[in-house]
Amino acid sequence: MSRKKSFLVLFMVLALFGLLAVIGQQDSEAAPIRLVYMTAGDVNMLALGQNVLGPAFSKKYPGVSLMTVHTGPGDAGSRLIFEKISAEADSKKATWDVDVAMVHQIFLKWAEGKDLLLPYAKELSTWKYVTSPFAKNSLGVPAEGYVMPMFHSQTALAYNPDYVKDPPKSYAELVEWVKKNPQKFGYNGIKGGMSGVAFVVGWVYWKTDKYNKYAVTGPFDKAEVATWEQAYKDLGEFNKLVTITAGNVGTLDALNRGEIWMGPVWVDMFFTFMNEGKLDPKTRMILPEPGMPGQPMYFVIFKKAAHAKEAKKFVEFVTSPEIQAKEIVTRFNWYPGIDGSHLKGAIPAEVFNKIYKDVTPTDLSKKGQSLPLAQYFDAMKESYEKWVK
Amino acid sequence: MGQVIMQASTTARRGLSLPPYLLLLFPAVTFMVLMYGYPFLSSILRSFINPQGEFSFDNYAKTIDLYLKDIGFTLAVTILSTAVSAVLAILLAVYLRLRQNRVSRALAALYKIPIFIPFVVVAQMMNSFLAPHGILNLALAKLNVINLEHPLQLFNFYGLTFGFVWKMIPFSALIIHGGFQMIDNSYIEAARSCGAGLGRVITRVLIPMNRSSILVALVLVYSQIVGTFTLPYMLIGGKIPTTITVDIAHRINYFSDFGVANTLGVFSYLLVLITAVYYLKSSVKKMTGYQASEV
Repeated sequence: MSRKKSFLVLFMVLALFGLLAVIGQQDSEAAPIRLVYMTAGDVNMLALGQNVLGPAFSKKYPGVSLMTVHTGPGDAGSRLIFEKISAEADSKKATWDVDVAMVHQIFLKWAEGKDLLLPYAKELSTWKYVTSPFAKNSLGVPAEGYVMPMFHSQTALAYNPDYVKDPPKSYAELVEWVKKNPQKFGYNGIKGGMSGVAFVVGWVYWKTDKYNKYAVTGPFDKAEVATWEQAYKDLGEFNKLVTITAGNVGTLDALNRGEIWMGPVWVDMFFTFMNEGKLDPKTRMILPEPGMPGQPMYFVIFKKAAHAKEAKKFVEFVTSPEIQAKEIVTRFNWYPGIDGSHLKGAIPAEVFNKIYKDVTPTDLSKKGQSLPLAQYFDAMKESYEKWVK
Repeated sequence: MGQVIMQASTTARRGLSLPPYLLLLFPAVTFMVLMYGYPFLSSILRSFINPQGEFSFDNYAKTIDLYLKDIGFTLAVTILSTAVSAVLAILLAVYLRLRQNRVSRALAALYKIPIFIPFVVVAQMMNSFLAPHGILNLALAKLNVINLEHPLQLFNFYGLTFGFVWKMIPFSALIIHGGFQMIDNSYIEAARSCGAGLGRVITRVLIPMNRSSILVALVLVYSQIVGTFTLPYMLIGGKIPTTITVDIAHRINYFSDFGVANTLGVFSYLLVLITAVYYLKSSVKKMTGYQASEV
């Protein structure tokens, strides 16, 4: 190739980049106010933002549009949001790209002491509806004022009543049940998704009887970890009689195919599967003694959000009793983020009866546990890898 | 090409700096350095940084303590899957090379499909195919081969190997078949006229003459399997043992522990290193061989 030609190619490449940059610039200046909302969670969270909350919010506040960015399920999804916002903070920009986000509890642990979040919740008119202890504290990190729970989800044991006439009412009874019905209980271990993790955490709470210390009061005491060895070895023995499924969805699939008769699931996924016809409508749930963990998902607004005012309006909108009843509970079958007593009458009786039939409000308040404080949580997950062979 | 080389050498003799066409290499080289070289080196470096930010072997101690079994498991699955894929791919390629009829033409068109199916889809397929009450077990139960109360358990080493083999045979057959096509019919006919049966034609003519492309296929399949995440995650993610890639995701997603994740990464580099060295060696040999023949 001659020198002339090579310069021509180089010039064309540069020109192309320049053109792309100009187009990108114009695009970002188009909409009047575009609120950027990042959400972790399963694909239903994307559907919620894109198809439900976005259009409804724009209808109420014309001129503000919502751009939903989905980062993926589990803590990994929250992790991506955290990394994005940390990078923005490190860049020392005057305003950040993302205004508001929907995150898991662990996010608050990561963000602790990093000055990334705006204390906004108490300014909202819907703050008065929030009574959940989860809004004050997230895995041991004080979070009051920084978070608004959008919904709460709970794990429970789902079972097939055709085979399980008298479901075990506690972890202890479950251990006996599994001995009589080998391989008919299934869960997804600790690397296959949060329903398995929640089951293991519930196991440790049961074996140690120290829920209060591990999840509520603290403090973290490294010596505690060594005392779990037997609990995990027992779990290892228990595992020999159970089926390890392929993920949160894997447990529900295996239940539906009749491969297992019982397994831990997220209540909201259970209902979603049922609504979509992917789970036998006869399938029931039970929350065993002493309890199993659940977790909320939180709205957070970022310290240097370009549109903090609109972001607050958005969170206020989603946590209003109207949207909570119509979308969060009726459409998605989650437990509401605000106090359920404000939703009375707004939820059709059949929906209310459906979601509270097996796991009753009393069950939730008595046996709905919190995930452990972050350090205990890490130790519990790692102990599984160490002791469960 | 020859002209370019001459130009380059005259410019070099004149003592001028970089010839302008080297500028054209700049984007590609920069891309390689930034996107491959830098992350590769940084992941090795960061595997020696402990959570307190000091240089140490802590991550290696933890990896060996918790994940040694998984590293062995990954190696075993990879070797078995590579070997089985290679044998079956060679047989398929031999068939396609030696038989020219309607069946072989149809097969030649069909077998390539899995190459275009992403691993995540393969994983979902294997999930419903291999499940205890999945398609395979249901079919076997209908044929009274097994009792559905005690179905084949395939969400394990064997199921994973099956998944990899299913996905990898077409890819390796494509490369190996290409090599077979280069072998002139006269060699096969000569062997046959000397009395060689099919087995001998395959082992004494086709395979030896096509050694390099078979080995390239093996190397590529092997390194792809070591690095695959979705299939093991969706089949045996929660099981013990599982593969290195699942452990890497677990350390990052649940612990934000990039140190141990990078260490696991280093172990997977080591697993691939053996074959990568061979691949580089053979391609260098090929290139120098060509040059020698050109001269």
